Amino acid sequence: MKIPGVDIKVQWLIRKEIREVFRSRWLILGFIISPMFAWMFQGAFLSFIVAQTTESEQVFITVEDDGEWGRKLYEEIVANKSTPKLLIDPLVNITREEGENMIAEKTLSVWVWIPENFTQDLLTSNQTTMVVWVNTANIRASATAARLDVFAKSVINEITIVRNLNVNWYTIAPEVNYGHQLAIFLVMLTSVLAPAPYISKSFAGEREAKTLEALLVVPMSRIKILGAKLVAGIALTSIYSFFTAVGILAYNFSIIMRVAGLSEDYQQLYIGMYTVNAETIPLIMFCQFLVLLCAIGIGVVISCLAKDRATSESVNSMVMLIPTFAIGILGFTGSILQYGGILGFIILAIPFTHAILFLNAVLAETGTLIGLSINVAYMIGFTIVFVLIGAKLFEREAIIA
Amino acid sequence: MITDDIVIKTEGLTKIFQKGKKREVIALDSVDIEISRGEVFGLIGTNGAGKTTLIRVLVGLLTPTEGKAYVLGKDVTEDIDFIRQRVGLLPQEAGIYDRLTARENLIYYGGLYGIPEEDLNKRADTLLEIVGLKDKEDYQVKGFSGGMKRKVLVARALVIEPEILFLDEPTTAIDTLGARIVRNLLKKLSSEQKRTVILTTHDLNEVKELCDRVGILNEGKLIAVGKPSELEEKFRAANLEEVFTGLVTGEGVYGGAEP
Repeated sequence: MKIPGVDIKVQWLIRKEIREVFRSRWLILGFIISPMFAWMFQGAFLSFIVAQTTESEQVFITVEDDGEWGRKLYEEIVANKSTPKLLIDPLVNITREEGENMIAEKTLSVWVWIPENFTQDLLTSNQTTMVVWVNTANIRASATAARLDVFAKSVINEITIVRNLNVNWYTIAPEVNYGHQLAIFLVMLTSVLAPAPYISKSFAGEREAKTLEALLVVPMSRIKILGAKLVAGIALTSIYSFFTAVGILAYNFSIIMRVAGLSEDYQQLYIGMYTVNAETIPLIMFCQFLVLLCAIGIGVVISCLAKDRATSESVNSMVMLIPTFAIGILGFTGSILQYGGILGFIILAIPFTHAILFLNAVLAETGTLIGLSINVAYMIGFTIVFVLIGAKLFEREAIIA
Repeated sequence: MITDDIVIKTEGLTKIFQKGKKREVIALDSVDIEISRGEVFGLIGTNGAGKTTLIRVLVGLLTPTEGKAYVLGKDVTEDIDFIRQRVGLLPQEAGIYDRLTARENLIYYGGLYGIPEEDLNKRADTLLEIVGLKDKEDYQVKGFSGGMKRKVLVARALVIEPEILFLDEPTTAIDTLGARIVRNLLKKLSSEQKRTVILTTHDLNEVKELCDRVGILNEGKLIAVGKPSELEEKFRAANLEEVFTGLVTGEGVYGGAEP
């Protein structure tokens, strides 16, 4: 198959690179298993850890409504606050101002606010709103908030007349989102490592196998050779992205299967809360693609400097894993954006920080166009800089030494 | 002056490698050489004498530190794409793509020169037949012996039908029969197709059998150039080995002639 508009020599190189990798079964298997594993693990995490948590959490509550339904809801929460129903301990009454201060200081776990027109809205339009602020970085807090959400709806909506309670969730930690954060971490972790075997094989591996010298004397510029290898790398890692999508769909299916025996309210809650919205899958894949690009850029630089494939893969793993682990843990605890000074600068300089911020914002639907654009631009810029450095290294005479 | 007949010419060609901040290694030291079209030119020398470096400069893998090198009338530092389109290289420690078949290795390499696939298939058929690997053409090379791989590499260097062929120790690791096949092939290329072959080797019998002229490199310097018989005569040596060892060791050639 010939690609119109692309230099035939470049096409030959791309074809050969892909053909070689496809004959390396373990490499291909890695591309398929890794992304699937991340989402399978996420499903397991939710099933076995989060959904079964029985630890209680402190909940603050503000009841501004003095009508019938506000009081009823509050009384029902008080009556059912203990384990196993709502996992609340203690339930603390606060004013709205106190709640807002705690949001500003990021010191609360869960705050339930029943606004003053709660009953009036329900009586006039059969629809009203309760607000829940939650620190989504806190698993217990998120689990408690989820239960409160369903419980409040069951209290209000049990009346024969159809009523509708909206529970608006707000988070004090937009960079993390309970239910998705583990998968994000794992997706980042596996994505940053995914291109390493191919890139190491393609650059340091060529040198080690003594095939590089003959390749460098063909009538193609080194930039074209490098470009062809990068295109092949991107094409191969698209397998990885594809199976990420498969993993997400399998994960969503596992959530649906998991809640199949629950009441419809709970089913809708869990499905809405834990499954990945189909509309966000392309954005997840896009972000992963950017991560793969960054990883390829870094990998090319390392591979051009390493004397052999094993060294390249080892250094690559080390360089990729350490910051990814650090950023992953910061993302997990919701503290990526809490550091200033040099540490804050270093954190923001790591491209995977932007990937996690991007994914969290997309999954939590808290992102702004400007914020997401900055994340994307940084990752693209980072890749370009590293590919250019890689190109310079690839041009060196010492590459064949 | 470079004529159409002279396909390779170097003038004061010097290549110095920096080893750390202070140490320098002079790999080529003011090498002047001229090689004519259709000639089989042998480069001999001890390990580290500069043979591979000279070839690498001529194919544009290394940049000269001083001096000039012209291939097919073009300066290697200016028109390397023109040169590369017309020269083939079999590196000394050439590797091969293990996960490709013998045929795929040839076709792929030819493809990188922009040769149409149809032509490449015909050439691959012929070359694999010549090197005796036609029956194994669709096997992945990873199962091949060292000698078989070397035969594939020789065929790969020839598949582009280069005007000049640089062969760095082409018969190393090939069995006696295989080496004979390669030598016959090189002779045929030179005599029938007027292709220029520059080869390095440690086998002086091979040099004598194949090469029209030979250049002896020692510590980066070209210390003697000529037809094997001329060198033997000039240094009053019984054979080329005596010429070589006498010049390289500095003990003088048996017979007492000075270089």
